[in-house]
Amino acid sequence: MAEKRLQPKNVDLRPDKYDRRIVYEKCGRAKYISHLDLMRAMQRAIKRSKLPIWYTQGFNPHIYLMFPLTLSLGFESKVEVMDISLLEDMDNDEVVRALDAQMPEGMRIVSCNAPVHSHTEITYAEYRVSISTDKTARETETLFRDFLAKEKIEIEKRSKKKTVNIVDIRPSINVTDIITEGENLKLTMVLPAGGNFNLNASVVIETFLGMYGLSADKLCIERTKILLENGEDFC
Amino acid sequence: MEEIKNKLDKILLKATKPARYIGGEIGSVVKDRDKVDVRFAFCFPDTYDVGMSHLGMKILYGLKNQVPNWWCERVFMPEMDFEKLMRENDIPLYGLESLDPIKDFDFIGFTLQYELSYNNVLQMLDLAGLPVLARERTSLTPLVVGGGPCVCNPEPMSDFFDLFILGEGEEVNLELLRLYEKMKPENPTKEEFLREAAKIEGIYVPSFYDVDYNDDGTVKSITPNVPEAPARIRKRIIADFDKVYYPDSFVVPFSEIVHDRSVVEVLRGCIRGCRFCQAGFIYRPFREKNIDTIKNETKSLCEQTGYEEVSLSSLSTSDHTKINELLLSLSEYTDGENVNLSLPSLRLDSFNEELLERIQAVRKSGLTFAPEAGTQRLRDVINKNITEDEIMSTCKLAFEWGYTTVKLYFMMGQPTETDDDIRGIAELSDRILQLYYDTTKEKRGRSIQIAVSTATFVPKPFTPFEFEPQATEEEIHHKQDVLKSAVRSRKIRLSLHYSNTSVLEAVLARGDRRVGKAIYAAWKKGCYMDSWDEHFQYDKWLEAFEETGIDTTFYANRTRSYDEVAPWSHLDYLVSHEFLVRENKKAHLAQTTRNCKEGCSGCGIKPECGGVYCGGKKTST
Repeated sequence: MAEKRLQPKNVDLRPDKYDRRIVYEKCGRAKYISHLDLMRAMQRAIKRSKLPIWYTQGFNPHIYLMFPLTLSLGFESKVEVMDISLLEDMDNDEVVRALDAQMPEGMRIVSCNAPVHSHTEITYAEYRVSISTDKTARETETLFRDFLAKEKIEIEKRSKKKTVNIVDIRPSINVTDIITEGENLKLTMVLPAGGNFNLNASVVIETFLGMYGLSADKLCIERTKILLENGEDFC
Repeated sequence: MEEIKNKLDKILLKATKPARYIGGEIGSVVKDRDKVDVRFAFCFPDTYDVGMSHLGMKILYGLKNQVPNWWCERVFMPEMDFEKLMRENDIPLYGLESLDPIKDFDFIGFTLQYELSYNNVLQMLDLAGLPVLARERTSLTPLVVGGGPCVCNPEPMSDFFDLFILGEGEEVNLELLRLYEKMKPENPTKEEFLREAAKIEGIYVPSFYDVDYNDDGTVKSITPNVPEAPARIRKRIIADFDKVYYPDSFVVPFSEIVHDRSVVEVLRGCIRGCRFCQAGFIYRPFREKNIDTIKNETKSLCEQTGYEEVSLSSLSTSDHTKINELLLSLSEYTDGENVNLSLPSLRLDSFNEELLERIQAVRKSGLTFAPEAGTQRLRDVINKNITEDEIMSTCKLAFEWGYTTVKLYFMMGQPTETDDDIRGIAELSDRILQLYYDTTKEKRGRSIQIAVSTATFVPKPFTPFEFEPQATEEEIHHKQDVLKSAVRSRKIRLSLHYSNTSVLEAVLARGDRRVGKAIYAAWKKGCYMDSWDEHFQYDKWLEAFEETGIDTTFYANRTRSYDEVAPWSHLDYLVSHEFLVRENKKAHLAQTTRNCKEGCSGCGIKPECGGVYCGGKKTST
């Protein structure tokens, strides 16, 4: 009996696995799905799709999923990445079709390919921000340009050891476009992303709003690109 | 809808777990609002996390939405942070599917699962922009209807509802909505519709009954005041339970809810008749589904939801007549699909090695037992027919299998309980602990933890203890002190929770119509979300009782005579009054009653209700 108790559940599973990198959209209603909830939703979608999915080995087998970069609650994106493994070398279009049929409103499967880069190679991400504040778009723009003209923009960043560090984020903010459209100020910016140093777009915006005492009436943030160090797309 | 959606987009990110407020989940039913004739808002008067776990809602949601021109939507009580945002931004309570305000729906249905959710009904009606009092809602729609176990005594809530639906809802809901669909084009008044509805078996329209009281405050009589209203309203029951509607898909939430898994109902009713347990009486008779039905429903649900866990739901799963065959058959499927099979409500005395092995094959969890009382004498009083030998043999087996936690649930304040019975809880726990140490080291787990929890007994209608007084706060505190000083081992962890909520629960459970005034007054003072410790305001409730002249001891702590007219005596839950009296008398003599499987004890349920042991139809595979 004791032996039986120590037996992992799926030791007989074939070790062969075929890695796939899925690119998906998360927009509309789906932007309110938190990252933790998203992982569960994806596992269930995969289960419904009946794809020959690879389970982790061990006492508590579960569907293997890897998200190289989390997307903050409330952000939209058409370039999100999730890695899975299959037991069969399936046709990629078929994988896209099967998974896409199981997506909730606001989510869509864009592509499926064998991974090229390691997720550790992710260095930057590009965001598009649309914001309207209690000031006009022009005034907001002027203030934002003033914000960018600062030599230092220091924020408090909590480290994993729960100590608070003061970090200058100004060198990390690379704004590539500023336009006004109606009441909205629209920004495009590239920020550090990935395991080494990650700067959240909403931190930049909140720091800006806080510095000038502005309140956001409407704020939309979309991740538009995930980039390697050399500026090329991650996938 | 667009209007509410735009407003939501501005506030959702300020709320905790916003995915609960925007719908769009897999399995949610979205229809074209121009093509539906009857719109039903199914409201669960508690938060999304709690309400989405409720099986009855899933069944009735699927059932109504099967009809192409009816649309049933889900509505929950928002958490207070989000409720505040809604009110600040003029967002009325809306359905999660359409995001339309529910005040424009034809029906607003609440399920009353526990007394402490009553005030959320008032709060939700108010948030919807409706008067909470039924008599102030003069137009035909929305019709505010209620169902669920608490409507076996809905009297305290009768001021707020247009009608109640008694018993099992799978048939009567369809009949009610069909009647409405038929009458709607004639533009009836609310009263005209309610008079027709009152003719449907199981429909109780409280405004069609007058209640008179005796000088001592007890109920004198309850009489119908319109010809359509029957003198007694009988609960509905599904006789052919194997064929009853069951949803083939669930709404699969994004955020984690209390019971986040597929659930298949394997049986309804209970053969046991534990005398404190309301569910054991109001859901009678015992009926079960065939193995094939259960297997098909399991398969279909797992496929449609993608859940990795399926749980069997019932009052006592191991009482299924073919439990071993059922588990064998189900685990064949679930093991192959990497789905966990979880089995709550397994009874101690029916636990055998094969069952244990079955659970083991899936996941090793702790054992949870509810002996309910510490001594055999008191277990006989409450008719919890478990002997200490049975408890011990199960625990022995469990320890040999390496289980390291045992949770024991007890109740305090049961009829005839003495300090010896309380000390019996500690003694039983000690003996279980000793059993662990007596298990050989090779077999037993590395450590042991026995968690003992006690709750305060609340007497409920339609049980043999409906006549009994509830123990007072002082009595419970005394009992807790006795238990604390009797437990010595650190391996036994006590959680002795006493909350004044059990007083409130007792008053609401056996209250009459006059208690409704106190509910209204308490709600006016800001009492709601009473089942959440952080929101419960007992002092406000006491003020409300005081101001409305409601003496809580009259409802909670008084012994009621057998011939007193109960506030719920016009409701027929099929179990006879004579049977409850007989059971109460036997309780005081510490005599047990056999379960339905061992032989009929004459509870009053007729064979035509489909009970497996009622001499009627037998189920077969």
